[in-house]
Amino acid sequence: MAFAWKAAGITYNRYLAVAARVVRRSLKDDKRLQAERRGEMDLRFAKWEGGKQGENKSLADANQADMAAHAGQSQ
Amino acid sequence: MKIVASTKLTRAQRAMTESRSYGSTSNTVFEEAETKPVESENKKTLLVVCSSDKGLCGGIHSGLTRGTRRLMDKTPGDYNLVVIGEKSKAQLSRSNPKDIVLSFAGIGKDVPTFSDAQAIADQISLLPTDYSSIKIMYNKFLNAQSYEATIVEAYSEEAIAASPNFAAFEVDEEVLANLREYALANALFWALAEGHACEQSARRNAMDNASKNAGDMITRFQILFNRTRQAVITNELVDIITGASASEG
Repeated sequence: MAFAWKAAGITYNRYLAVAARVVRRSLKDDKRLQAERRGEMDLRFAKWEGGKQGENKSLADANQADMAAHAGQSQ
Repeated sequence: MKIVASTKLTRAQRAMTESRSYGSTSNTVFEEAETKPVESENKKTLLVVCSSDKGLCGGIHSGLTRGTRRLMDKTPGDYNLVVIGEKSKAQLSRSNPKDIVLSFAGIGKDVPTFSDAQAIADQISLLPTDYSSIKIMYNKFLNAQSYEATIVEAYSEEAIAASPNFAAFEVDEEVLANLREYALANALFWALAEGHACEQSARRNAMDNASKNAGDMITRFQILFNRTRQAVITNELVDIITGASASEG
């Protein structure tokens, strides 16, 4: 069973997040505003190597880039 | 400050109860399947420490750090660290900088959302190293006064596949990786929400104590102020009277 999104390098969590976002956006306005706050994510992260902290990056951008890099590797 | 913290605490507690049922449902699967972590040599364990960015809440972050160090001292070199939150990062980067692989910041401003947990879980599952298991360290909420550093386990694919009763669920092997990722996100969400509730309750207590201590200080300064005022008045009276008697004479 091959999934199209798996081939595009998207993880299951990302797949869920996208689906959830679509549902939230299709809600009525009053409910939508409330629901969209639950979907916000504004984290930063840094990779560490040899005891040194790397550059602080936005998690959302990095996740997207990493998944693009993984595209095509797994079926 | 205490009232602000109290309102936040109620919200955090509500979020915690909701996420707890979420996490425990996800755990039921593994309990029923009797999943056990696989003991494998020369594979490291990933330890995720869930603290937050903000201070002013007593020893809650140090408690986590201490728990982490205790665990790492038992089997040195066996753990890699993922640190969520600036506070524990600052503490752990002093003692174990070599073991940290990832650190996250920006958590703890508000009640953690599932998107937070998902994004973190994604970044963790994209790590190049293969870990035998993932342990999540968080503050367990016992009651409004006490909490303790606890570990929840997120299993690796092999561990899930090797569990004795897993066949009963009839999960295809292809989707096993999805289940693992999703379970990791669930466990993280639970840990984050519970950690957040602990932090808020600890902050409420800290603010309460701060107000009490300030009360003592206010009474002390009030007395000091009154004494000084009286002294100044007496001095001025003496001056006036001396001046008056000098001009008369």
